[in-house]
Amino acid sequence: MAAINLPFIHSPPSLQIFSIKSPQSTSKFLLFSQSIASPLLSSSSKLYTTAKARASSLIAFAARNLSESELNSVPETAGEIAGKFPSDAGVYAVYDKDGDVQFIGITRSIAGSVATHWKSVPELCVSVKFGVVDEPDRTTLTQAWKSWMEEHIKATGKVPPGNESGNATWVRQPPKKKADLRLTPGRHVQLTVPLEELIDQLVKENKVVAFIKGSRSAPLCGFSQRVIGILEAEGVDYESVDVLDEEYNNGLRESLKTYSNWPTFPQIFVDGQLIGGCDILSSMHEKGELAGLFKN
Amino acid sequence: MGVTKEQLESTLTSKLNPQHLEVTDTSGGCGASFVIDIVSERFEGKRLLERHRLVNAALEEEMKEIHALSIKKVLTPQQWKQQQEESEKSKSAA
Repeated sequence: MAAINLPFIHSPPSLQIFSIKSPQSTSKFLLFSQSIASPLLSSSSKLYTTAKARASSLIAFAARNLSESELNSVPETAGEIAGKFPSDAGVYAVYDKDGDVQFIGITRSIAGSVATHWKSVPELCVSVKFGVVDEPDRTTLTQAWKSWMEEHIKATGKVPPGNESGNATWVRQPPKKKADLRLTPGRHVQLTVPLEELIDQLVKENKVVAFIKGSRSAPLCGFSQRVIGILEAEGVDYESVDVLDEEYNNGLRESLKTYSNWPTFPQIFVDGQLIGGCDILSSMHEKGELAGLFKN
Repeated sequence: MGVTKEQLESTLTSKLNPQHLEVTDTSGGCGASFVIDIVSERFEGKRLLERHRLVNAALEEEMKEIHALSIKKVLTPQQWKQQQEESEKSKSAA
């Protein structure tokens, strides 16, 4: 089997496993490799049948190399997408209107991912090829992805633009944390206006500002942490200022206490007005009063 | 160092004449962190922020020593009565 398969297998990892017959290689892995090779064996009907039978019993990633998979146009509504694509795990390739591959990905739900892509970049998500992977453990999925990627790279000589490093169009990433705002250019720079004025500008120019201890990604006090948690939960776009940053917000703690006539941190401002600290924000959050406040 | 629960209670009592007051030291005794429930007529007609300001102002001196002050309840006597009745109800309902 190995001798016959060897010339047909595209992916170097599989090739390696077949050739060295590594004892670690699991039967699933071997079957998987066969399944990729199977369409190429179609000239030899006997072998093809064998491979197909084995593959279908365990793995549905049979006959699913990229070029032979069917191209499905992406419908216009989320409901139709859910009807047209399976919600199974698998590998998929997204094509733009020119028929160029934009992105190759793996997913726990093909329909879900297609819907997500279609929603975020409809102009790039015109049609999709997919291959369902049964028993989708991480290794199998990754292998499926690798084989599609390798096939694509071999055919076109390039990586799909969406798979290039640094391209964040297709990969769902945790929402990027904004940087904390800095009030001054640094402690050694002489300010030409009083700090209070900078605070005043800052809270008036930004809809929601939270003055917290520590950064928004790592608040240093429980109350600040709770405030960040509430703001994130409300899904509001807000700015944060670290009152402990002695370099860029030197003197802010004292100035802010005077400015807002509020003795503690965190402090939350909306439309230039102090809303209060953690207790008030928590209480308003619980009563559902915040959404209205952030909206207007 | 630090402030005691009793100190806070006496200051708040004298300045805000509360109908109900509960000060809890959450710092484990070092006097740096407190939780306050307070009910007073002074809060009548005032927004949450203004009520907190009243408490903060009353504790201006003490605040210098306190790291964290959490004002959990700041109610008017009427609101407090309502809350108590509601909790009674939910208790009897349960």
